Amino acid sequence: MRKRFGTMLPDICRSLFRRPATGDYPFVAAVTPERLRGRLEWDPAACTGCGLCAMDCPASALAVAVLDRKARRFVLQYHLDRCIFCGQCVVSCRQGCLRMTGTPWELAALTRETFVTYFGDPTDVEQVLAVKPEEDPGTPG
Amino acid sequence: MTDNTAQGFTVPIGPQHPALKEPGHFQFTVDGEIVTRAYVRLGYAHRGIEKAAEARSWTQNLYLLERVCGICSHIHALAYSLAVEQLAGVEAPPRAQAIRVLVAELERIHSHFLWMGVSAHEAGFDTLFMYSWRDRETVMDLLEGLTGNRVNYSANLLGGVKFDLQAAQADSIRRGLDFLEQRTRHYLDVVSNDAMFLQRTRGIGVMTRAQAEVMGAVGPTARASNVGRDLRVEAPYAAYRDFPVRMALDERGDLEARFEVRIRELFESFRLIRQILDDLPPGELGVRLPRRIPAGEAVVRLEAPRGEVYYFVKSNGGDRPERLKVRTPTICNLTSVVRLAVGHQLADVPMILAGIDPCFSCNDRLVQLYQEETGEGRSMSWKDLRQYGIDFYARRQA
Repeated sequence: MRKRFGTMLPDICRSLFRRPATGDYPFVAAVTPERLRGRLEWDPAACTGCGLCAMDCPASALAVAVLDRKARRFVLQYHLDRCIFCGQCVVSCRQGCLRMTGTPWELAALTRETFVTYFGDPTDVEQVLAVKPEEDPGTPG
Repeated sequence: MTDNTAQGFTVPIGPQHPALKEPGHFQFTVDGEIVTRAYVRLGYAHRGIEKAAEARSWTQNLYLLERVCGICSHIHALAYSLAVEQLAGVEAPPRAQAIRVLVAELERIHSHFLWMGVSAHEAGFDTLFMYSWRDRETVMDLLEGLTGNRVNYSANLLGGVKFDLQAAQADSIRRGLDFLEQRTRHYLDVVSNDAMFLQRTRGIGVMTRAQAEVMGAVGPTARASNVGRDLRVEAPYAAYRDFPVRMALDERGDLEARFEVRIRELFESFRLIRQILDDLPPGELGVRLPRRIPAGEAVVRLEAPRGEVYYFVKSNGGDRPERLKVRTPTICNLTSVVRLAVGHQLADVPMILAGIDPCFSCNDRLVQLYQEETGEGRSMSWKDLRQYGIDFYARRQA
């Protein structure tokens, strides 16, 4: 084919009569895909406190405190700011207690404390906080 | 600009420079506008990933290594998974392998579109940059819909993949590919026929087949010089045995050829993805691997969007690797930039560099030692290096 000028001009002309390619967020809520990996959720019903989720987490975002294994009293500490949303914990959990939710996906906050979530019975959480207020799984290696 | 009259002017570029968003230092000695000598210095984005991998479990490393590259993250996780599976003596089921290839090809489309935009930007053709990046959003949305993440997809598991492919996702991928294919046809026309753009690409940075072989070029950079080197064809891995690929070759060896080869590869990726969607094998998505991997060594080579990725993994039978070595394609192709820049105008250098689709953070696993006074390279024995470290920290503490 012969060399020619302005090969992208038709694109530019068409764009003049089109809506912008960018979305109207934050005025219009962005639609998230069904499978979006967002904030973690824990269902305590089947949890055995095995701790595989915390062991496999590559970002040290999880810690399991076992208060009473027989009575199934566990507290799951979740650091949202460390979570890399890989979903490994969901796969590692053999009881299917964990899942990642796409909503809400706007997870920004002004303080770091907001990002630490304690899943579990409120009394158990209080007990864990009283015993280990500074507990931090740290980063591997 | 450094005035060094004995050797001409030396123009230092980087490590922070406007052309690329990653750090790398270049020194070009010029005679007028013509480059007479080129030098590259790496090591600004050394992250110690290989050493960090020795302190993490086999599973945790999957996500660490995914972060070797922000663009071709999947291929790194795949290479590591295949190496660990090789050590454990297991193979992921056919359906998992096909999904791995599907994500790898979507990633290739993403990478090539991104590269097309960056290269066009280097040439001052920002219209192509903007439109190709707009279209890249389509494939990123497809990846997000399929895997749940836009960049680090985390699709792999040791022994398989995390998710299955549903009919709804297959339909959206087909629709997305139809749009991307139509756009890619247009971009092929633009890079092959736009008179202004061709002035920046035709006959620039010509690398002959012999040069490409001597310099160890890999990936589309080598294939644009008619070197038939594509691991998907030469040594098929994962599901490439069942879904064969046709290699895109060009014998011109210039920047135009590198554009055309990558764009022709996009068509091949579209075809391959459609074939996988039509003939996805049934079955399981993964097999279980033990927490301790049997002792041994494994080598895996895969074809990333930029070329050959090499993984060496050594296990001592424990719950974490004893040694891990990664080599990415940019380090192989950088030699060609330094050699090809000589004889070209300084203004062509950013395009020649962009022509190999460089990724600096990916390849930064080396430290160069050089003498400050002369700029010449030097070497240190392990004992000397250890002593240097002890002295360095002693000085710092004092």
